[in-house]
Amino acid sequence: MLQVQHVRKEFGAVRAVRDVSFSIATGSTFGLLGPNGAGKTTTMRMIVGIYIPDAGSIQWKGMPIDGRMRRRFGYLPEERGLYGRMDVREQIAFFGRLHGLVEPDVSARTDRWIENLQLTEYAKRPCAELSKGNQQKVQIACAAVHNPELLVLDEPFTGLDPVNADMLLATLRELKRNGTTLVLSSHQMWQLEQLCDHFCIITGGENRASGTLAQLRGAWTTRVIRIEPASAAVRGILDRVPGARSLPGEEGDLLYEVPAGTALPEILRDLVTVEAVTRFEAIEPSLHDIYVHTIEGAA
Amino acid sequence: MNEFITVYSAETMRRLRSRIFIVGVLLGALGIGLIIKLPAYMDTVMSQADRVVLAGDPALVSQAVPLLRKDYHIAGTMPGKTVVAPSDLADTKRISAIILLRRSGRTMTVAVYARDPGNVTVSSLRRDLLPLSLQIATGLSRTDLGKAMKLPITVRATNSKFGTAAQANDARIIAYIMLFSLYILIMINSQLIMSSVAEEKTSRIAEMLVASVNPSALLSGKIAASATLAIVQMIIWIAIGFLLGGHPGAPPTLDSAESSHATTFSLSSVSGADLAGFAAFFLLGYLQVSTMFAAVGSLVNRTEDLGALAGPLVIPIVAAFLIAMTALGAPNTPVVIIASFIPLIAPFVMFARIVVSDVPSWQIVLSLAINIAATYGIAVLAGKIYRVGMLLYGRPPKLSQIWSVIRS
Repeated sequence: MLQVQHVRKEFGAVRAVRDVSFSIATGSTFGLLGPNGAGKTTTMRMIVGIYIPDAGSIQWKGMPIDGRMRRRFGYLPEERGLYGRMDVREQIAFFGRLHGLVEPDVSARTDRWIENLQLTEYAKRPCAELSKGNQQKVQIACAAVHNPELLVLDEPFTGLDPVNADMLLATLRELKRNGTTLVLSSHQMWQLEQLCDHFCIITGGENRASGTLAQLRGAWTTRVIRIEPASAAVRGILDRVPGARSLPGEEGDLLYEVPAGTALPEILRDLVTVEAVTRFEAIEPSLHDIYVHTIEGAA
Repeated sequence: MNEFITVYSAETMRRLRSRIFIVGVLLGALGIGLIIKLPAYMDTVMSQADRVVLAGDPALVSQAVPLLRKDYHIAGTMPGKTVVAPSDLADTKRISAIILLRRSGRTMTVAVYARDPGNVTVSSLRRDLLPLSLQIATGLSRTDLGKAMKLPITVRATNSKFGTAAQANDARIIAYIMLFSLYILIMINSQLIMSSVAEEKTSRIAEMLVASVNPSALLSGKIAASATLAIVQMIIWIAIGFLLGGHPGAPPTLDSAESSHATTFSLSSVSGADLAGFAAFFLLGYLQVSTMFAAVGSLVNRTEDLGALAGPLVIPIVAAFLIAMTALGAPNTPVVIIASFIPLIAPFVMFARIVVSDVPSWQIVLSLAINIAATYGIAVLAGKIYRVGMLLYGRPPKLSQIWSVIRS
């Protein structure tokens, strides 16, 4: 388990991280969310040992993170960079060796990553000659070639086209299946929602919300329901629900926001007595909704 | 250790294959070739200006030929010819002058008919012909005059590690060459390290590197690779020098009486202990300077800024080289002795003192101790600056920020 407890990091007068805490179970996937400047990158850099926290602690499997442990981690920074004149294969193998891989293992793993990320035709080409998307794939391979216990990825989807983003998503799922603990930050909420088990939303260098998606939704105070047909009878029933309010819907349906504790089966029962209901859908708040709501609340 | 080896081997291979290293080696080889071959070529060109014909008294002409051969190329003789006309010189374009030798009693007179009078050095002509002039004036035999002119002078060392002036001069030549090599290697390779670090920062690969490997291992691997390549570069240049059949040129000698000796030297003048001293101080000097340059390289955000930052770092190295040159002639003056303990300067100066004088052992040990401690200190400070500098983007850090990093 990765335990981040009350970490703080300052750079002169700038408090990049004030107080961030969360725990990540081994083998799970964790999404770190927050607006630009919230402290995500600094937190990630502290996890992989680039920065030492000014206060608080970070432990992996109950032990403080040291140099030997870091070699079992992988890190994809937000800022992309490769040795431009080094070829793709050599670059991936170099990072493999930096993380302790030796021959023939390093070659085998390098070749596997090149194949998995469809980089075979570029394997002998200098990285500077690759497109931005392919360079990013090389960097991902560099970060994960040693099959890390913990892989920290800062904005991994940025700059990837939809096909390559799907490929990365599949690759991360594969890593997850193999037991790698993943920590990701991204502004692409739907991708995080598909991939992550737990989330933490930080802003201003502090935790604002954390937990599984269900737990985050649990803290949400309202629900939205969508009903068809949009008849006066249906509207009459919904208007009588305590705390309900109408939202702008699409043509032919009705959207209503109701308090989270409202008994939806009872509403449905009442509706079918007055109308032939063709659609009754309880819409859960998306990660995007929760994120925006949390950030606006913090502001 | 594994991290160090990985960084070291990757950095070595990367730099070996880099265009700048290949071009540097080739340009260096070209320079060495020019240094070796150019004097010979210039000699050929200049010898045309020294091509002379001797004319006049046949006895004087025959005696003057061996005396003038040292400084002139004797293209021919015209014994018995007593008058020289401009047409004599115009007929033969490859001759620069006709030297007419005449005798009147106990006096010899010399007239030079030169195509370009500016090429005639009267003093050298007078020096070459002096034995002949004295022979005519005194009536002494050639043998007696030769004995009289070879005044025996013996130089005996009284407070020196060298038995003879020749050995001392050899040692100075070798020390000069080694110091010059040290200077060139440190200057070139330290700046290459700085560029390499700056490149990693500006290409943004630095963050992945420092997350993967201990920054100290990263920095030391890079510096060790650079030192290895510096040595490889030097070996290649020396090998090319020997292949081209050259020998080191003569630096300015301090003993004018030995000036004719300066074109060749014997390695036996430098002992194994001297070479060990060179190796130790080379290593310390290289580590001190290159570590400093690497730390500064981590602070730049644009490779264009490297020149401005490298300037102040170069000053102590140039100063060290100049003091070391002084030390070759005056190894035990107070300023030189003090300089031989100061970090960054001592690697040059103490080595120069070791080669040309008997430095007390305690001074060598103290200098080594101070410089080992300084090297460690510089490495620790540079490591801290490097660790933080590599991830600082935007404005270059202020001195106060660097100071707070060093103190942390």
